[in-house]
Amino acid sequence: MRYDIRLKLEYAYDAPVSGGRHLVRVFPITLPGIQRVIASSLDLAPQPTEHSEFADFFGSRVVSLTYRQPHDKLEIAMAARVEVTRRDATIDFSPDLAGLSAQLAANWDMSATAPHHYTGPSPRISIDPAITEYARQSLSNTRTVKEAANDLCLRIHEDFAYDGDATLVDTPVAEAFSLRRGVCQDFAHIMIAGLRGLGIPAGYVSGFLRTIPPEGKPRLEGADAMHAWVKVWCGEEAGWIEFDPTNAIRAGQDHIVIGYGRDYSDVAPIVGVLRSAGGHEASQAVDVLEVA
Amino acid sequence: MPDLIGAYRPISGIPDEMVAPDGSVRPGWIALMSALDAMGAEERISRFQHADQYLLDAGVFYRMYEGNGQGERDWPLAHIPLLISDTEWQHIETGLTQRADLLEQVIADIYSDNTFIREGLLPPELVAENPAFLRPLAGVRPMSGYHLHFCAFELGRGPDGRWWVLGDRTQAPSGAGFALENRVATTRAFSDIYSSLHVHRLASFFRDFRDSLTEMGGSGGGRVAILTPGPLNETYFEHAYIARYLGFLLVQGEDLVVVNGEVMVRTVSGLKPISVLWRRLDGDFTDPLELRQESHIGTPGLVEAVRRGTVGFVNSLGAGILETRALGAFLPAIAQARLGTDLLLPNIATWWCGSQQARDYVFQNIDTMLVGSALSNLLAIDDSQGTLDAGRLSEADREDLLARIEANPGAYVAQEAVSLSTAPVHMDGALEPRPVTLRVYAARTPQGWSIMPGGFARIGHSLDTSAIAMQRGGYAADVWVVSDKPVEQVSLLSTGKKTIERNPSGNLPSRAGDNLIWLGRYAERCEATVRILRAYHLRLAELGHSDTPLLEATRKYIEPAGVDTSEAVPDGLLAIIDGAVRSASEIRDRFSPDGWLALTDLQKTARRFKRTIKPGDDATRAMTVLLRKLAGFSGLVHENMYRFAGWRFLEIGRRLERGIQIAEIATWLCDPAAPDGAVEMLLEIGDSVMTHRRRYGYGHGKFGAIELLITDPLNPRSVMFQLTELLEQLKQLPRGYTDGQLSSPAKAALRLQTELAVIEAESVTMSMLVNAASGLAGISDLIAETYF
Repeated sequence: MRYDIRLKLEYAYDAPVSGGRHLVRVFPITLPGIQRVIASSLDLAPQPTEHSEFADFFGSRVVSLTYRQPHDKLEIAMAARVEVTRRDATIDFSPDLAGLSAQLAANWDMSATAPHHYTGPSPRISIDPAITEYARQSLSNTRTVKEAANDLCLRIHEDFAYDGDATLVDTPVAEAFSLRRGVCQDFAHIMIAGLRGLGIPAGYVSGFLRTIPPEGKPRLEGADAMHAWVKVWCGEEAGWIEFDPTNAIRAGQDHIVIGYGRDYSDVAPIVGVLRSAGGHEASQAVDVLEVA
Repeated sequence: MPDLIGAYRPISGIPDEMVAPDGSVRPGWIALMSALDAMGAEERISRFQHADQYLLDAGVFYRMYEGNGQGERDWPLAHIPLLISDTEWQHIETGLTQRADLLEQVIADIYSDNTFIREGLLPPELVAENPAFLRPLAGVRPMSGYHLHFCAFELGRGPDGRWWVLGDRTQAPSGAGFALENRVATTRAFSDIYSSLHVHRLASFFRDFRDSLTEMGGSGGGRVAILTPGPLNETYFEHAYIARYLGFLLVQGEDLVVVNGEVMVRTVSGLKPISVLWRRLDGDFTDPLELRQESHIGTPGLVEAVRRGTVGFVNSLGAGILETRALGAFLPAIAQARLGTDLLLPNIATWWCGSQQARDYVFQNIDTMLVGSALSNLLAIDDSQGTLDAGRLSEADREDLLARIEANPGAYVAQEAVSLSTAPVHMDGALEPRPVTLRVYAARTPQGWSIMPGGFARIGHSLDTSAIAMQRGGYAADVWVVSDKPVEQVSLLSTGKKTIERNPSGNLPSRAGDNLIWLGRYAERCEATVRILRAYHLRLAELGHSDTPLLEATRKYIEPAGVDTSEAVPDGLLAIIDGAVRSASEIRDRFSPDGWLALTDLQKTARRFKRTIKPGDDATRAMTVLLRKLAGFSGLVHENMYRFAGWRFLEIGRRLERGIQIAEIATWLCDPAAPDGAVEMLLEIGDSVMTHRRRYGYGHGKFGAIELLITDPLNPRSVMFQLTELLEQLKQLPRGYTDGQLSSPAKAALRLQTELAVIEAESVTMSMLVNAASGLAGISDLIAETYF
């Protein structure tokens, strides 16, 4: 499956800012067995004073921007063509929870894909007893870690209401959990917190999701969105499996990865430090179009 | 045997630093104690007070965080130094050198290949789950090739008589400056004893490290700077002290900016490159972009500069992970694997409960264990909140602890609870044994690790080992490493070099310049307010009431500024003084201890007056005292401060404020409705009564006063005089007057000065004075635009 992805992020500042420095994570990356980036580009307005790129610890492609001239808006337009090759494994190779902790204890890997980076608390996610208890219910009627993760993914979809007004980008996980509502970021954080509480390594995935319009309706321009889901370590053999609790599915042909991290803070689309007095308005538009 | 020793009773079964287990007295102590004996109790106390007075005068303090709010605590000096023979010290030196080298290997491995983890020498979760592991630095080689440049080690002597490492400090070790001040204070008190014993000097340690850092900066012209979190930090005094002592720039995060991957400091002469940052804040706070995003004391882009290899940190960002308590459990095996030998100075026995074998041992011996968080970076003795002495727990609490460990074993670490050796402290005329730990510093030099011959000792205020923390009432003592032979005498000033190397002037950070201006302005605003209050209370005392047009006009003038004349020392005045102290505290490194002392003395006196002084006569006298203290401060600054850009900013602040104050209050002179007695009162406030009488006799009262206070170029209180001085200083600033071009603030000052210069006293109007005051305020803004 090939996609053309377009993303436009716009920030309008209440008062002109005298400068700023940002890290931008919006490019999809090539991941063997999952997806391949064929071409990509970035348009910036205004032009930054400095512009450079690097790959972060988890392999995300990071663009570093510095502005030293005053400006009152910032526009970031990303375009990429990506081939998605993801296949969903049908056989469950994952162990049960005890087997998983034994495998974890015998794992001495420290590379970016090692499960150890995803076990403890992270800047946005602490181990919360209430969320752990909620997650523990997924162990009772399942045998393997993959089944448990799948069950938790379905339950979050079932028990939580999608509500774009209930939470903000920095709403704590515990709060979204007790509200029982939120957006993809909240659901991903809750699922991660629950799994880590049980001792199952879990990470945050930032990306794009292609949406298919209802039968007979035209596709709306800019209707797609940046999305977030969860990756779960299901043991040495099964490896990482990605679940999308917002849509109650495993990540498939419609999911395009930007990057991985312990939580949102590791892969936020934009992190910035502004020299500014006022606030700002932000907007984003995403199109994921299938290329014939 | 001196009486002091004779009466000293160490605790049996616990080693003592003065009296050896066989009852003999360790080297050096007899000479020290005989001298203390010989001088008698009274002299002894007076010597101790001498040391305390020095610390007080030098403004040495320690910030406390406990309870509600925070405060400054005078430095708690235990007056008797701790003596250690240099043969024993040799052992400590060799041991710490080996240890520092091993720690360098560990940290280099954690941030590169992780071979220790792959070989099973270190459990991965201690790194991967550790908040001190800074992922953006993984795979980044430090500019100098080394992660560690300056480390501290907390040592304690166990019951077996050997020294043990209680903790490694690699994040941003504090206390080296306090060690220096301890030394100065102690030698002030005991200069005779100090010079008769052969005590190793500390200066060469600092000199070598200073030279090493300068060398590390390389030939690129980049400077070395000390990066401080600012005056609210508990050890800020020390940051300023070390910066002043070694001649390094003291900067805060907001002073720095990263341009094209290079670190620059904003100075009043523009951006200047920095290539070495000796950081005194935790690594994760240094860059809000790539590290802790909520940090307000960092500089965005610093990690990028590190990645590009343009700046070196002392110690590297991420080196704090070595302070993790559970790491101690693995160092012995790592030493065996990498060095093929045991550690000469081992850490105190440590067990990480994440390993089954260690956990079993801990459970069997729980009564002798201090149990805390595996990832804690605090020493067990400093961690009263998080570390439990399992032997002192109730049965139920101990069971609860064991259950918690069982539920999450990897989160816990246990250390053997050992009693520490004791050292004598002087209490109520006699010596008492108190538990002691030693803090020793190691600095990397091109010749290898250099260990400070001394350091400082922390001494508990009671026999309880946990009472050693200074936050909880412990003391600090100087440590004398004594030799039986004469030792090398060194000072920081080198004498060998043929050519004179000067630090470039004009490297005044913009923030420091801003604070200096405000210090000058607050000091001057304080003087103006005190003068007005004195004139007010003098009249109040004469009349016995405040119901006159003149006093009412004075109240109307001064009360909008928050100065309430019904009180002798109004809150508004204290707020101005606090403002001056706050500005000064931001620039302690550029400020002589005497100047600081004069300012804090003013603050203390004003606060005392606030409680004791009544309006009227009493207040008049009190204001005279405050004026004298202010004059003392101004005199110290004026007579003693080198004419670097820093002094000029201070002077500019004073001139601006004095000009504004005089111009504003002198509008009365041009007001036909001014109350009776206004001219006399203004001359008094403007300190120009005598000159006025001499020049004008008893005629020309009003116009004479206008001339004297506004247009006279020779009266140091006139607006004209302030403008002339201001213009002169503005020209002398960097870019103030280049190629015949004046800077914009200098142009504005020239314009104001010219306007006043061509005017006769008779034609001065109120609106001219209002314009002059707002023109001066405008110059202040122009200075900020140009230099900050």
